[in-house]
Amino acid sequence: MADLYFSGVDVGSLSTDVSIIDHGGKVLSEIVIPTGVNGSEAAEQAFNAALKLADLTRDSITGITATGYGRASVAFATGKTTEISCHGVGAHHLFPKTGTVIDIGGQDSKVIQIDRQGRMLDFTMNDKCAAGTGRFLEVMANRLDLNLDELSSPLNIEGDSAPISSTCTVFAESEVISLLAKNTPRKEIVHGLQRSIVNRIWSMVTSIGIEGEVTLTGGVAHNKGLVALLEEKLGLTLNIPENPQTVGALGGAHIARRTYQNSLEADSI
Amino acid sequence: MLRFSKHEITINEIIKNMNIPDRSEYLKGLAQTGQKIMGVLPALYPRELLWAFDIHAAEIWDPPGEILHANAHLQTTICPVVKKSLEFILKEPQTINAGYLFPHTCDSLQNLGTQVKDLIGVSLPIYTFYNPKGRFNNTTIKYYQDILINFQSILEASHGPLEPEKLKAACVLSHKIDTYLMVIQQARMTDHLSLSNHEYFTLMRAQEYLLPQDYLSLLEQVNILEKPAEFSRARLMVSGILPPLPEILVFLDELGVSIVADDLLAVSRRIPKFAMDPPGSPLDYLTDRFFVLPPCSTRGGDLDERVHYLSNRLKESKAHGLLFDMVKFCEPELFDHRLLVKTFRERKTPVLTLETELEDHISGQDKTRIEAFTERLFEIVST
Ligand code: SF4
Repeated sequence: MADLYFSGVDVGSLSTDVSIIDHGGKVLSEIVIPTGVNGSEAAEQAFNAALKLADLTRDSITGITATGYGRASVAFATGKTTEISCHGVGAHHLFPKTGTVIDIGGQDSKVIQIDRQGRMLDFTMNDKCAAGTGRFLEVMANRLDLNLDELSSPLNIEGDSAPISSTCTVFAESEVISLLAKNTPRKEIVHGLQRSIVNRIWSMVTSIGIEGEVTLTGGVAHNKGLVALLEEKLGLTLNIPENPQTVGALGGAHIARRTYQNSLEADSI
Repeated sequence: MLRFSKHEITINEIIKNMNIPDRSEYLKGLAQTGQKIMGVLPALYPRELLWAFDIHAAEIWDPPGEILHANAHLQTTICPVVKKSLEFILKEPQTINAGYLFPHTCDSLQNLGTQVKDLIGVSLPIYTFYNPKGRFNNTTIKYYQDILINFQSILEASHGPLEPEKLKAACVLSHKIDTYLMVIQQARMTDHLSLSNHEYFTLMRAQEYLLPQDYLSLLEQVNILEKPAEFSRARLMVSGILPPLPEILVFLDELGVSIVADDLLAVSRRIPKFAMDPPGSPLDYLTDRFFVLPPCSTRGGDLDERVHYLSNRLKESKAHGLLFDMVKFCEPELFDHRLLVKTFRERKTPVLTLETELEDHISGQDKTRIEAFTERLFEIVST
């Protein structure tokens, strides 16, 4: 199986991520770009950039799995799989003892249970709103006049946090406005917002349960304050991938690789 | 030939193209012939008694259209079945001419009955039917027979004395329909029916508005395959109140998933669990029929019995997974749902829950949920 390459293209609501691996599963390139308004264009751009980074041509890629909410718009893909299965497979390849994946994406959050082979056993997904998602943080960062990096700064988890009772983006935003009007320190508001997301994730985790090690994926995994609060709430240390945003794309690449291997086995029967 | 066919369409063609007449057109046509039509809300009622009085029961579950005026009368936390029903009633549809019947399926429907009668003021008569909650025992039998006799007297007051022969004939017709439905259900579970998900539920739900004779003619013509069809589709059982939205049914077909069994209030929970003897005394027949229906959250009773029933159905149909398609704010279902999910998860049965407000379209997130669940089912198919 020399010189065979596989790719996963994850078209999410906020970012489009591509991963390219070789036949042994070694990661050759990973790219994250904003999705913008056109998912299929973003997929093209990100894929070309990933090819360039890996010094490969399009023809050299044997299998491409499209995933993410815009998976149907990736015309050059050879297969498509939901981001739920892809995150499971990706997390398994990075941390083989993973039994539970928490993915906090731009538009939705998921808790996924996987087996020892990385196959999805069960999952739950947040419901039809931005509560507990990256989008929630983005809206709040805007309101607080902070960028996402500032919002992600490590915070003392023992410190004060402003009370934000709502997990709904619209209601939480008005709570933030009234806290600002009362001159509540921004750090406390940020802390409160992170706690609100953690509570939302916690309720999803309790509905499905925790098995094995827990891996956190999605861009929100960069938010150190939130990670600390989530670890405190769950009472465990989370696996944090180096590139948490590309775990779905990585899983997609591995699924493309497995599909190719299965087709070889089927042909040889 | 069916009474509803203006042209000489054979029933085979109707089934083949699933050209079952449109609900409102059909009922409009019937009303124009002077047929007495009663609007009946979900779910269990003595249809045979209505038929014996020459009253056609047109069931109202999820009439299409936006909910506008009903919201003024109902709390926001009331289920969309009740809201859509009220919206429909408020329009005073011409097709309904013999009143409305509100069975005691849940508190929301019972309250709606009271509201429509006492507060909203609908010109047609309003009837209620208080099904017993609980198991088959001397008390529930006696209670059920009492309310049947009482309902008969109420109908007699408006429609004249009941002709016993007509009631007997109605029971015979009902028994025949049940018998066909049981065969079709069995054929579905064992792959002896070549209908898509959407076609299957269109056929099963046509009983909500076709005249019983028309529905029977339709059922008689359903093609049961001699040998089971061979396919590598994933198999699914669905539980809830109504079948999933048509868009979901079509989507499942596209994904290669067949709904092979159901535990739906609108479908299988109204078909006896096992074959009944042909009717003798109508009163005994109606009582027995009520108590041989599958366990249901709306009739109270024992959750263990429901778990047992669902497990058997899953086994019989070889379903790979279980979909709970929950109507938002449906109290009776929500009571059982949590424990059912927990039980089947513990038994390693793949379970997915969707929540519907009976919208016209499914959300992107629900599509992803369904697709991910399907991926899980196909993992099982391939191992
Ligand atoms: S969906 Fe549930 S709450 Fe609504 S009418 Fe039916 S049984 Fe009652």
